[in-house]
Amino acid sequence: MKNIVIGQYLPGTGFFYRLDPRTKIIAVIFLMVAVFLLDTILQVSIAFVAAIVFMILGNISVRRVANGLKPLFVLLIFTFVFQIFFNRAGTLLWQDDLVFSLASISAVVAWTILWRLATRFRRFRGILFILWVAGVYLALAYLPYGPAFAPVSFEIYQKGVEMSVFVVIRLMIVIALSTILTLTTKPTDLTQGLESLMRPLKKIGINSDDFALIISISLRYIPTILDEANKIMLAQASRGADFNEGKLLAKVKQIISLLIPMFIIAFKRSEDLADAMESRNFVPGKPRTRIHELAYGGADLITAVFTVVVFAGAIILKVLP
Amino acid sequence: MGIRFRSVSFSYPGFGKGFYEALRNITLNIATTGEFIALVGQTGSGKSTLAQHMNALVFPTSGSVEIFGKTITPKRDKKIKYNDLRRKVGLVFQFPEYQLFEETVEKDIMFGPLNFKIPEEKAREMAKTALQLVGLGPQYLTRNPLNLSGGEKKRVSIAGILAMNPDMLVLDEPTSGLDPYGKKAMMDLFRSIRERTDKTIIVITHDMDLVYEYMDRVLVLDNGALVFDGEPDRLFRQTDLENLHLDHPATIKVLRTVSEQLGIALDVYQKDVVGAVRELRKAVRP
Repeated sequence: MKNIVIGQYLPGTGFFYRLDPRTKIIAVIFLMVAVFLLDTILQVSIAFVAAIVFMILGNISVRRVANGLKPLFVLLIFTFVFQIFFNRAGTLLWQDDLVFSLASISAVVAWTILWRLATRFRRFRGILFILWVAGVYLALAYLPYGPAFAPVSFEIYQKGVEMSVFVVIRLMIVIALSTILTLTTKPTDLTQGLESLMRPLKKIGINSDDFALIISISLRYIPTILDEANKIMLAQASRGADFNEGKLLAKVKQIISLLIPMFIIAFKRSEDLADAMESRNFVPGKPRTRIHELAYGGADLITAVFTVVVFAGAIILKVLP
Repeated sequence: MGIRFRSVSFSYPGFGKGFYEALRNITLNIATTGEFIALVGQTGSGKSTLAQHMNALVFPTSGSVEIFGKTITPKRDKKIKYNDLRRKVGLVFQFPEYQLFEETVEKDIMFGPLNFKIPEEKAREMAKTALQLVGLGPQYLTRNPLNLSGGEKKRVSIAGILAMNPDMLVLDEPTSGLDPYGKKAMMDLFRSIRERTDKTIIVITHDMDLVYEYMDRVLVLDNGALVFDGEPDRLFRQTDLENLHLDHPATIKVLRTVSEQLGIALDVYQKDVVGAVRELRKAVRP
């Protein structure tokens, strides 16, 4: 429970830390759009290498950013596989007939059972999964067939491979950009930046002050609530609640024993917070001063120029040919 | 048997690379029967963390804890049924808000016994008995636990553990938030449980009066280290209590002041009010 990192901010010094949050937010948005304007593998690869170089120059651990990619790993794999299977343009690179027959299907079933049994060795789960996929493919493609249903043609085209690499790199750049933003900006600065950027929206009735307050209070309470959840879990475990084992119905009951105290405590905490804010004379909607005022500096100018150049470059590359 | 701590240390993961050392090298033996132990120390000294080691809720970072013959090490052992240990060593948390969740007090007290596969009829019976033990009448069985007063919630949460019929009881500040009368009633309850069943009871508390009057052994934690383990009398006769961030019980303080101000010789180490009055009477009418 304690390992969950919310708001990935890592204290540090370096170029990206000196930037005004507003500059960072706008730059990230424009750079993302620029990345989506790129067309060829070569272009996105250069952008990718450039992103890594900037990370190193800005004193950001590349491994840390790579960790940010981890939760989206499934999405990346899914995109890759989707592209490789369904993009059928260019020259044919590989072709197999996948045959669904009694023999091959029973082989697949047996192989799956074997795989499920083997997943007890949690350490090798990744390798086992790849082995399973390979085994299923081999069984469908090469097993001696008995009476068979219509074969499905499995084809990989050149364009499919290219597009899958292209899309994955592009996604990785986009995720890396947003990770740099959250890694180098305090959540409070981020909200203050958003608030400042959204101020013009006041004219159409969206109050950016309220919005910023909501975000900063939620961020502030995530660790507190997690801590409370942990305590509740221990208290219920002390009464024999087991959150991992048991039948579905028992499990639901255990989770209810967690959720109800959770809600009660959260409501009580928010009431206390409201009282504390009011007793310190907080009036919703009234203008407020701040300890740290946002201010632009030299680094912001450099970033702005860089972003404009990259954005213009991407548009030119898109329009030229 | 009982609980054995062997050079147990525990650290909470902290921000960045740092961590917070909550327990430092604790070695300690607690018998299954016959002990009434107070666990004291200033806020943040590791009392609750130590208590949570006693029923395997948390695992030591180094060292080992032996609970009823099962050895708890930093690594989880699949052969040990941790839930079993939690039934044997009942741990009541400080804040009842963390555990009350059912619609009725009866159902909430039954939650523990049902988790340990006790048949429903028997569990209902146990809930009734446990509620009576903590001094609440049967009319509370159908009440909503969330609408009770602070003291009543506390009692219901203790009843929830008592109903599991544990072999040992660990209570994290069971008397906090109770009025003086409630405190005394609660301590009398623990004393009567002990006298009837001889089960070991461990109580975390800040109240030195209760420690002196009721307990026969006191453990003092200071900054994660066990700095005293022995009889309360020996602890309070010690002079450097302030270094341990502890205070004397009221009886000692009052008798000592009387003795100093009026210049009468008194045996100030009296465990309760009755003893203090007897000592004063002796001095006034020899």
